[in-house]
Amino acid sequence: MFKFARVLAMAMFCVAVCGQAWAADIKIGLMCPLTGKWASEGLEMKNIVSLLVDETNARGGINGNKVQLVIEDDAGDPRTAALAAQKLASAGVVAAIGTYGSAVTEASQNIFDESEIVQIGTGSTSVRLTEKGMPLFFRTCPRDDAQGKSAANAIARGNFKKIALLHDNSSYAKGLADQTGQALEKAGIPVIFFDALTPGERDYTAILTKLKAADPDLVFYTGYYPETGMLLRQKKEMAWPVPMMGGDASNHQDLVKTAGKDAAAGYFFISPPLPQDLDSAEAAHFLESYKKAYSSTPVSIWGIMAGDAYKAIEAALAAGQTDSQKMGAWLKGMKDLPVLSGSLGFDAKGDRVGEFYRVYKVNKDGVFELQPAQVAQ
Amino acid sequence: MKRRPLYITLGICICILPFVANAYWIDVCVMIGLYALLSLSLNVMLGQAGIFNMGHAAFFAVGAYVTAILNTMYKWPVFWTMLPAGAIAALFAFMVALPIIHLRGDYLLIVTIGIVEIVRIALINDVFGLTGGSNGIFGISRPYFFGFKIVKGIQFYYLVWGMVAISMLLFYGLWKSRFGRALNCIKEDDIAAEGCGINVTGCKIMAFTLGAFWAGMAGTVYAAKMVTIAPESFNFMASVILFAVVILSGGSQVGVLVSVFLFIGLPEALREFSESRMMIFGLAMMLMMIWRPQGLLPCLPRQYPQARKDEG
Repeated sequence: MFKFARVLAMAMFCVAVCGQAWAADIKIGLMCPLTGKWASEGLEMKNIVSLLVDETNARGGINGNKVQLVIEDDAGDPRTAALAAQKLASAGVVAAIGTYGSAVTEASQNIFDESEIVQIGTGSTSVRLTEKGMPLFFRTCPRDDAQGKSAANAIARGNFKKIALLHDNSSYAKGLADQTGQALEKAGIPVIFFDALTPGERDYTAILTKLKAADPDLVFYTGYYPETGMLLRQKKEMAWPVPMMGGDASNHQDLVKTAGKDAAAGYFFISPPLPQDLDSAEAAHFLESYKKAYSSTPVSIWGIMAGDAYKAIEAALAAGQTDSQKMGAWLKGMKDLPVLSGSLGFDAKGDRVGEFYRVYKVNKDGVFELQPAQVAQ
Repeated sequence: MKRRPLYITLGICICILPFVANAYWIDVCVMIGLYALLSLSLNVMLGQAGIFNMGHAAFFAVGAYVTAILNTMYKWPVFWTMLPAGAIAALFAFMVALPIIHLRGDYLLIVTIGIVEIVRIALINDVFGLTGGSNGIFGISRPYFFGFKIVKGIQFYYLVWGMVAISMLLFYGLWKSRFGRALNCIKEDDIAAEGCGINVTGCKIMAFTLGAFWAGMAGTVYAAKMVTIAPESFNFMASVILFAVVILSGGSQVGVLVSVFLFIGLPEALREFSESRMMIFGLAMMLMMIWRPQGLLPCLPRQYPQARKDEG
């Protein structure tokens, strides 16, 4: 028995030593929720990043070094995420991608920070994550306050002068209305109307009459699609031709069903682009190989964000930045890297710069059309 | 008596483990220690008194949030918040226990499931504007232990396992006491216990409150270790795991330690299997339940020196 144990121990030792000798590969960590309530997001993140890693290795790796992807499950739970991060740190990854959920990402932040590993968050939008001044933390997703700024930019581009902001008192819609109002004020565009409606009602003519009396150029309703549809229909019935816009909560085909094609035509909203709408050359190539590998299309934008994070790490490694501090500095200076969802750059805090939200417009047939990307400011 | 070698081996293993394990396994063992602390506190209710509480994570959550709020908003040092955390968790347990403690078995179980869900949803909804909603609270400072800052995994390891050792000693004293005997009596048959002149309701409430106090203190350590806490950590699943740990242990303290190693350590050891690891884990649990329906290490029968003297 003891002899057997000793042989086994020797064998394991050999494997461990040899394993280390062969591991000239570059290790990149991916932390994602493979089990738990967000498992579908995690699986897509895993599929996308594995696909990109395979492509890199098929090209001969980064500067001749193969990339090895180390995937750990965080189960969408802060406690498991902290252990997954510790496991990645012990595995000796140069950089880590992940993860989905702000609180989950936050639980891993300190561990990567203390181990001096570059971390790129993918689906963690809480503002405070990048406000702590951690030098090695980045994210490819927008912050919670980015949509308000994007909305204000879209309004400024459309040359609207008198804006009416309408929300439904939900924390999401009110937050978006508040942030848009602040951003508009900074841009010098006056908000002449700011009020809430009661969601779930059938008749909004009262609030529309009130709005009409204020005479705005544009009505921005920040709430969800059912009310948006009702507003559009009743606005048409009142024969009031003022343009209307919305936020990403109106990105749902039922909007056209409620409003009718005539009333919905010309309505526009800002939203993260859907994966199949991505129009860059990188994305077209990626979507094709994704279809080939998994015979389906990616369904969520957050998996694409993980792919973007991998592209950023790959670019940094290709530029010879293997030391984490130098890689962090390099990523902060990075600009206009072509990635799956457009072009990527980071600011001094590690947040993504440039416009992530895109404008969708409803055409005459009631189809949502992605408008061409604007130049990032 | 024949279990003594097991106790000693387990103790030595726990003491020397940090010197042979890497940072990852030390962190896993810190989590195991934390769950051991929670399971020991649940053992007082469930294992000793037979109170079916499947909402233990609620008291854990109250403790962790009290520490987080006192530390981030009022700048209390982390260790100072340990007593208030325990006390508020105990007070909360006392208040919810008063109307429900007379419920038997499965009814009590369902009510406690309700409690843990109410606490979690209240935390998500940012109750009193203190809990930070679904993103939780961040920026909890590291604890100081007599001027010595606790940051590294190995320091937390000895802190947590030291607390486990002290808790085990105290709970052993409790088990040996008149109160401990009363709880065991209630577990076997509460009508008989009542007939023997035991204040059943009083004892049950006391066990409930005491267990919650310990869970609250474990919450303090958890908040200090994670630095950031969020409602997801205190979900129903956490309560179920604690419940299962105590049921599988058989009710003895060493049993709790062994089964907590299985419950928290096994999913980590199975990480290689990524998506299917929870399936393997569930299967292992089922097999263990079939293999030892009485629990891994049930309590040995009590021995009384006086009785032994009379026999001899």
